[in-house]
Amino acid sequence: MNDKVFHKVGRRPWEWRGKPDGDTERRRRRVPGTKRHWLKWRDVHNDKSLTRERVLADKMPLWWTLGLGAVVLVTPFLSNTMIGVVTIFCIYAAINVLWTLIVGTAGIFSLATLAVVGAAGYVAAACNVYLGVPWPLMFLIGPLTGLVFGAILAAPSTRLDGLYYALLTMGVAEICRVFILQLRALTASGGAITNVDGFIPEDWFLQRPGLLLGFAGAFVLLLGALLVWRLVNSERLGMLLRVARASREDEAFAEAVGIDFRRARLMVFLISSAALGAVGAFYAMYFGSISPQIFSLDTMLLLFAMMVIGGLGRAEGAVLGAAIVTFIDKGLIELGPPRIILVALCMIGVTIFAREGLTGARAQFRDFRNRKSGEARARRTEKGGEAMPEEATEVHDKQELYYRRFNKRLRDRLKQLITPDLIAEHKKDPLGHHSDGLARVLNYFRRGEMADKYVIHRMKPAEERFRIMAISGERGRPPRVVDDREYTDIKEAYHAVFLLRVNDLMES
Amino acid sequence: MDLGLVVYAMNLAAIYALMAVGISILWSSVGVINMAHGATFAVSGYAAWIFTGAMKPVIAGAFGTSAMATLALAGALVASALIAGALCGLVIYLLAFLPIHDKPNFQVRALIITLGLNIATVQTLLWYFGPRNQGLPKIFGFGRWEVLGTRIRYDQAGTIIGATLIMALTLAWLRYSRKGLEVRAMMQNAEGAAYSGISRQATALPVLMLTGALAGMAAALLSQTIFVSPTSGTIPLVKGLTIALLGGLGSVSGALIAALLVGFLEAIIGAVPFLGQRYVLFGTFIFIIAVLVIRPRGIGGLLDDTRE
Repeated sequence: MNDKVFHKVGRRPWEWRGKPDGDTERRRRRVPGTKRHWLKWRDVHNDKSLTRERVLADKMPLWWTLGLGAVVLVTPFLSNTMIGVVTIFCIYAAINVLWTLIVGTAGIFSLATLAVVGAAGYVAAACNVYLGVPWPLMFLIGPLTGLVFGAILAAPSTRLDGLYYALLTMGVAEICRVFILQLRALTASGGAITNVDGFIPEDWFLQRPGLLLGFAGAFVLLLGALLVWRLVNSERLGMLLRVARASREDEAFAEAVGIDFRRARLMVFLISSAALGAVGAFYAMYFGSISPQIFSLDTMLLLFAMMVIGGLGRAEGAVLGAAIVTFIDKGLIELGPPRIILVALCMIGVTIFAREGLTGARAQFRDFRNRKSGEARARRTEKGGEAMPEEATEVHDKQELYYRRFNKRLRDRLKQLITPDLIAEHKKDPLGHHSDGLARVLNYFRRGEMADKYVIHRMKPAEERFRIMAISGERGRPPRVVDDREYTDIKEAYHAVFLLRVNDLMES
Repeated sequence: MDLGLVVYAMNLAAIYALMAVGISILWSSVGVINMAHGATFAVSGYAAWIFTGAMKPVIAGAFGTSAMATLALAGALVASALIAGALCGLVIYLLAFLPIHDKPNFQVRALIITLGLNIATVQTLLWYFGPRNQGLPKIFGFGRWEVLGTRIRYDQAGTIIGATLIMALTLAWLRYSRKGLEVRAMMQNAEGAAYSGISRQATALPVLMLTGALAGMAAALLSQTIFVSPTSGTIPLVKGLTIALLGGLGSVSGALIAALLVGFLEAIIGAVPFLGQRYVLFGTFIFIIAVLVIRPRGIGGLLDDTRE
């Protein structure tokens, strides 16, 4: 028996667990002005050590802090070109986060995101250059234009769905591009508006302090986009839409329980559009110009590739994808045209292998590993009353598992003891002194559970007629008759019960 | 209306219909929005260019400059474009269908993979051949016919006739062959088709190769009018996609009607003096948006509704 290998059941991933002091009261800081906590600490009970432990249930805030902190710390030491690349990454990431809000949270497959950015950028830049509006006001004009443009775009989204709406928005972007190119006033510069004022002073433009200032602005922009994401996706609007999404089969259900998901969707779309307008104004300011390139299909596809590589519908995916694609596209510029091929190949590879982009890879790998190890365990285990390893992880009381395992081995041992001789011995003398083997078997039978335990029923008082019944095991429910045989001798009945139990034992 | 305009419109409609019907059949039977259709188009054009370039001396040696030589060259061009298109379909099958067709989010992922394939292929062509336009041999010659007082160029007539022929063959294949029956069953109800023993994998391959060949044919025909370049597939892709959507994705007849409508619309917008060619795309999109807002599921959408 000793050479049998026992495999570990279940898995406990390593993570840091706090050991809170049991006496003091629990204190958690809240975000000022709200009821939210900063981090999602949860107290759990450790079954083994019987102590209270504290775990961080949601570790994403830590990853965000680490990632964004690294960007802030590293960027000032980079070369001028790379600072520009990081700034563009921040702008693209901000656009992508807001786009994710539209595609993921609202579930509207809009491809006009860059069109909103471009339109707001153009209007803000035109106000600045032709009307002499000072640059801080551009941050007001941008979102307003975005809001109006978003409202126009959102109007048909209630009627059209999926691909039809995607096509429509693609058409809108194309119309914007052609419209800008047709404008008489801009033909001289190829449709671009140049010399836009901005928060970067003139003489700092393309100098190191200017680049750093631009980076700081873009980083704040990204933080703002993430804040919008958090406020929309994780608060009421996002929750409503998630409920409606869970019952996509019958959106009527969502409506019946009082969720106006169409309105929620529109709200998300409008909020994101306004935020995209702010990004557009920033874009025009940072580059000091804006060109019809922003409406082109290629730029849109580049941003779409970012979202796809990172994982469609997740903020972290949008940012990670933006980092990867911007690095390939702008950082490896000496590679020439093949870098777009590289982006496309990344896109294909990620999509073939990953269900939900790179950020979903971890969960996918866990699912895969669980499935494989489950299959392997199922292959090497025979059941025999013992808990299967899969169900073993579900059984809370681990004592139960070991009891079942012990029971199985005991039964295996007893099965070997049962021989025709043993049965003959019992038939001869059901009560009284028995051999060691028979005593062991009978002891096991006596210890059996109450449910389905066999009993002998005397059919009439003072009459030697017996039959065998089985106890139901439930209070109030009478025993059931096992078969219709009657015994006139109590010893015969004893032996019949014995035979039934032996039969059950051999079959288990 | 001027008859020349009608011919021009029919010419456009023929090319668009080849693209749109391919996209539409593929979507309704396999469930893939093929964004790599434009890449297929460009690759077929280049394959035809390389192959006819290689075959020209051979054909000239064999037939001289007789009518047979033109015929042989035409055969080589069309065959090479068709085969290249079908091979592209095979690649799409291997990359965008086979690995993921039974995985979650299949439709979105197939769209993304074909989009990636499109970008990668176009950029590779651009990198390898450069952005220069390449002219293919004119298989229909340069002459023109006088019909009812208007002149019809040979290439226009050839395109209209060739496209109609190919389209008729495709529809006949769908209608009368065993495989066509299976494809139609998948178009009607993919699940039901699977229950009656129609293999999705075995049906998707011919459909993808067929739609690829249709794109190849479109490339061969369009190359008679314009040049072949790496990005030459983008406009037919966008047009084909929009027309397929306008016709109602999955409806072949809707796609044909939509192709005719858009062909005429473009010819008319191009001919109106104060609009001109620059507003063609603009006008088409506005028209399509208007139609979609009024009829959210396109022209063939009525069929869709009754099916559900």
